[in-house]
Amino acid sequence: MFRPSPADTEAGMAVPPTATDARRRARRRRRRRGWSEAHVRRLFWRAGFGATPREARHWARRGKRATLHWVLNGGPSPAPHIRGARVDGHGLQPKDEWGHDVLWWLDRMVRSRRPLQEKLTLFWHDHFATSDQDTPLMLAQNQTLRRHALGSFPALLRAVTEDDAMLLFLSLADSDKEAPNENYARELMELFTLGRGYAERDIRHAARALTGFRVDWDTDGPPRCYYEREAHDAGVKRIFGRHGRFDWQDVLRLCVNHPAHAPFMVGKLWDYFVGTPIPGGTRRRLAAVYRRSGHRIKPVVGEILAHPALYRKLDAPGLVKSPVVYLAGALRSTGQGIDRESWAWLLEGMGQVPFEPPSVAGWDWGLAWLSSNSMRVRFDVANYLMDTPRLHVNDGSTPSKLSPRAAVARARRATGNPWISGRTEAELVRMARRLLTERKLKDGEWRQDKQERADMCQRALRQLLLCGPDAHVH
Amino acid sequence: MPRHNACDDFHRTSEAVRRDLLGGAPLTRRQVLAGGLGAGLALYTAQALPVTRVLEAAAADAAAAPNAPVLVSVFLPGGVDLLDTLVPLHDFGRYADLHKELRVDAEALAGGSGLGLHPSLTRGLNGGVRGLFERGKIGFLPGIDYPDPDLSHFHSRHFWETGLITERSAPGWLGRWLDRAGNRDNPLQGISMGYGLSPVLRSGRAPVAAVASPGDAGFWMRNVWGEPYKEAMATYERLGHGPAGSRALEAARDSVRLAKGVADRLAPYAEEDGRDPLASSVPYPAESDFGTRLRYLAALISKPLGIRVAHVDADGDFDTHDNQKSLVGLLADVSECLSAFQADLEARGVSGRVLTLVWSEFGRRPEQNGSGTDHGAGGLAWVQGDRARPGIHSDYPSLSQLDGHDNLKVTIDFRRVYSSVLEQHLGADASSVIPNAGRLGRVQLVR
Repeated sequence: MFRPSPADTEAGMAVPPTATDARRRARRRRRRRGWSEAHVRRLFWRAGFGATPREARHWARRGKRATLHWVLNGGPSPAPHIRGARVDGHGLQPKDEWGHDVLWWLDRMVRSRRPLQEKLTLFWHDHFATSDQDTPLMLAQNQTLRRHALGSFPALLRAVTEDDAMLLFLSLADSDKEAPNENYARELMELFTLGRGYAERDIRHAARALTGFRVDWDTDGPPRCYYEREAHDAGVKRIFGRHGRFDWQDVLRLCVNHPAHAPFMVGKLWDYFVGTPIPGGTRRRLAAVYRRSGHRIKPVVGEILAHPALYRKLDAPGLVKSPVVYLAGALRSTGQGIDRESWAWLLEGMGQVPFEPPSVAGWDWGLAWLSSNSMRVRFDVANYLMDTPRLHVNDGSTPSKLSPRAAVARARRATGNPWISGRTEAELVRMARRLLTERKLKDGEWRQDKQERADMCQRALRQLLLCGPDAHVH
Repeated sequence: MPRHNACDDFHRTSEAVRRDLLGGAPLTRRQVLAGGLGAGLALYTAQALPVTRVLEAAAADAAAAPNAPVLVSVFLPGGVDLLDTLVPLHDFGRYADLHKELRVDAEALAGGSGLGLHPSLTRGLNGGVRGLFERGKIGFLPGIDYPDPDLSHFHSRHFWETGLITERSAPGWLGRWLDRAGNRDNPLQGISMGYGLSPVLRSGRAPVAAVASPGDAGFWMRNVWGEPYKEAMATYERLGHGPAGSRALEAARDSVRLAKGVADRLAPYAEEDGRDPLASSVPYPAESDFGTRLRYLAALISKPLGIRVAHVDADGDFDTHDNQKSLVGLLADVSECLSAFQADLEARGVSGRVLTLVWSEFGRRPEQNGSGTDHGAGGLAWVQGDRARPGIHSDYPSLSQLDGHDNLKVTIDFRRVYSSVLEQHLGADASSVIPNAGRLGRVQLVR
């Protein structure tokens, strides 16, 4: 049986404590200037799946540099200890049970001590979107994406091109010299490496150069792909104005070294983390960082996560949470592990099922996540969250004498202290005031009604904190 | 890949039109009334209105124009092959050369067009798509595309969705029509059947809705009921109002409000005690999600909800690079679902006002690549319904004279079809939606 490895715990480097206490305190104060819990929360949502109140406090004290170092490299941290996934009393069976592949990945997002690695694995899954293949192949591809998530892009691109699920999905397997299939060549240039700056002929010649992969369907398990030199078109091709007897690795090298690649790649990463249009100068600078590093991903992502643009308008978040980020974030920030299958079909209702992107272009991110229908399903997600042990409000469990403000504060603590606008807070206090104000009902029902209303008010407050408009942006 | 900067629709239009394309043009009350919804709609404030107004608006829409035409857009994702779908029997030798292993045995259509249909298109009620054509309810548009076609799924699809040859983000062509001719209060005027909103319906300011299952569009809250529930839902809706500091937050607020409005409006049609107010008398294919979406849509069109434009995605993937044979199943589903949809509209007595436009983002390379076909130009679209003018409305592309990339030559611009449908079916001024519509010409698609 397939056994998922536990969430990563690889130890990174902590900042070494060498200075004396007084000097350390002074340095810490300097570091913290311009670095608050709001900054930490913004960074942790963008680079992961939210911060718990404890994480926000801890990293606000440690300062920007130390926080970014941890986000990029891992190490000791007060990340929440959340129980591993159990559904109906059993561990997950990602290869065998419906929806368990999705739950397995969701579990990693919720419990990971390297949230950025999971966030980037999600980025690469969207970038190299693959779908409709046997679950074991999809899970193997997922591990490949995770392994290279912060590493070398050329290595990642080679691994993805040779990946069984990808070879089958984009018809590169069995594309041979007799009848080259253009599917992979086209998406390689348009979606994976360049975006623009190539011609129709480059695609056709690259398709010839990429021939040679075969597929063996006669296996006990899923089909397996291999390379067969005889199926490869060994003739001369002309790609981006250069002639040669190019093979598949040459095509990948040509694409990565194409002048359009670096600006394309850093722009896409910027969009994922920041969202506001990338200034031309920033794009050039990031592209230079990327090239100089030998096309490594971590240095660019590090620059992006440190950029002031990411921290603008802390009280008006500008990115929409994708359904996966919304759900994983809600579970993580309330300390709730995976305990039911419902999350898998709720993700479908919200429009983002991992391992099933709608096309090779991945999902439409941004405002497109917010339809009237998906909002309706996000409301349902909150209903299910309200059924989990940490959020459930038992009858009679709410102090009945709470002030409206205290009731809102209690609900915020229970939901992991999420960001809300001043307006939303005022509306919630207003609702609490109306619900907690005693109204004269029938004789003899007074006390019970008051307690019931206090409980319901607490449930409604938590629900609206979990699925009101503010909960969908970060 | 061809670049479209030189002929980018965005760059070719005036500043005023550009604002409109990007969804920034404010509506005037006069435009709404001129848009054909009739008088009696006392709409309009700049702010979003409470639910009661949404309900009133939908009812007012429906009452003011009970026979308002409805346009349904149906998308076949992936780029459907023209040659194997509407088969060029008139040039069978050349067709058989190009599709050595793939070619299908098609029976000729009546009328001397020299064309045949894929055998799967006879599947379904009353002879399926073929039956619809024979009864005079389909007009085919072979060779449809745009000049200098872009073979990227995403560019091409975006052009079709927006009705603009531009890579810029823009509202959908039907969303823009609603911005001009629709109202500010009824999200059901533009309805996307499914989880997300189709880019075809994305609007600048007109409210639009996505509905996956009208039976459970309603809300509930765990262990909260009675007055507290009403108070909580009223608060939820209020959270959808007011200024927001970012577009993302504004969009989140909008969709909270729309979700609540849609739920309230559809509440009367929820299934109760095993009785389904939206039940259909026509059998749809049991296992098809596409069929289910069409079934819901036919039912909703027949209710007084003020639906004017709708979008439905077909199931499956027509991107047949290495599996052209999958068309057998894909087209069977299309045929079964679309023939059931037409029969259902007829049974509900609304078929006289519904026109359906079926389209795909491009065609496929005429010469097969082995077991499939690569991206090509000159695809296929069709209009269907009681109002559709039957026949073949564009030239079938030549199989021997191909373009410089060995693709079929384009014989009709999809923007000409859009302009024609806007004018002939929706009674709109096409040039207010499609830039330079005057220069695109027209084709008669409505009888």
